[in-house]
Amino acid sequence: MAAPSLLRGGLRRLFAGLWGRGWASPPARALREGESGTGGTIEGKIIEDAAAPTPPNPSGQCPICRWNLKHKYDYVDVLLLSQFIRSDGGMLPRRTTGLCLEEHKKIAVCVQMAHRAGLLPNHRPRLPEGHTPKKPKLNRYLTRWSVRSAKPIWKRGPKWCKVPMPVGHPLLKDNVKYTHKFLNFNH
Amino acid sequence: MASYTKAAQQWATFARAWYLLDAKMQPPGKIAAATVIRLEGRHKPIYHALSDCGDHVVIINTRHIAFSGNKWEQKVYSSHTGYPGGFKQVTATQLHLKDPTAIVKLAVYRMLPKNLQRRTMMQRLHLFPEDVIPEDIEKNLLQEIPQPRAVPRRLDEYTPEEIAAFPRVWTPFLP
Repeated sequence: MAAPSLLRGGLRRLFAGLWGRGWASPPARALREGESGTGGTIEGKIIEDAAAPTPPNPSGQCPICRWNLKHKYDYVDVLLLSQFIRSDGGMLPRRTTGLCLEEHKKIAVCVQMAHRAGLLPNHRPRLPEGHTPKKPKLNRYLTRWSVRSAKPIWKRGPKWCKVPMPVGHPLLKDNVKYTHKFLNFNH
Repeated sequence: MASYTKAAQQWATFARAWYLLDAKMQPPGKIAAATVIRLEGRHKPIYHALSDCGDHVVIINTRHIAFSGNKWEQKVYSSHTGYPGGFKQVTATQLHLKDPTAIVKLAVYRMLPKNLQRRTMMQRLHLFPEDVIPEDIEKNLLQEIPQPRAVPRRLDEYTPEEIAAFPRVWTPFLP
């Protein structure tokens, strides 16, 4: 079958670069081909990853606790959210990222809201043909439900029992607030 | 106040000013709240409800307002023509596509006090869907009202240096 031969070929390349140097550190995930001076030989080099900076709280269980970000992120913090998504916009599994269940759900909700607000324009799903997606004509933010699933509220009701329009997500109700304003999840 | 003539001081106190407000990526409710304060004249210490001290407000980019939540789909604007069977209901999306200034206009109209001054105050409100303003209005503008909502930055608006400076929160586990 093709798979074992590929594996053997890859390992041979790895060992070709290491010959005479020893096994300094575990190899990087990706395989990079180095340029050879004389034509003909292909040499694989082990490129060491840059050391990750130490988190402020190394004894935490999930990355959010380790970096003391527990109730401090929102749909706006795209730099943080983009580390947990694939290139087509979907979330990475928990067993890969190491997040605890509640933080994974919160990050998923924030990522959904960021997508609907248009803050992640390059993480779109790949379309099969040259079919250009239509640009959304309406701006929105803090959308809890998907655009296609929300139905109009034809009868909102009297002032004392109005049907609310949900905004944001209740999973984020414990976020740190720097104002004294009450966080409203229903408008 | 030190060296102005009485006439100049009087003019500066009672003249009607023109304010500009950019509604791009702003919620129409907060836009309306900021404009209603200026239209009534409540931002002036000489305010009185009967003394007609409101100012003009020009709102641009009303086509690019942003609703929070799913209001584009859920919010319904109703009206009745007065004839039987004339109850019309349109969602915010349909109304916005038909007339890009209608949502902000209705928001401001409904937020103004329900008295006879309301119509005069609405005449002092000027709405434009894009940032193209007629020259005579543009010459009158005095000051810009700050935007009520801080517009978040998109991922492609961050420089590569800022993205590199942000630490990787998790590293893949390599057995």
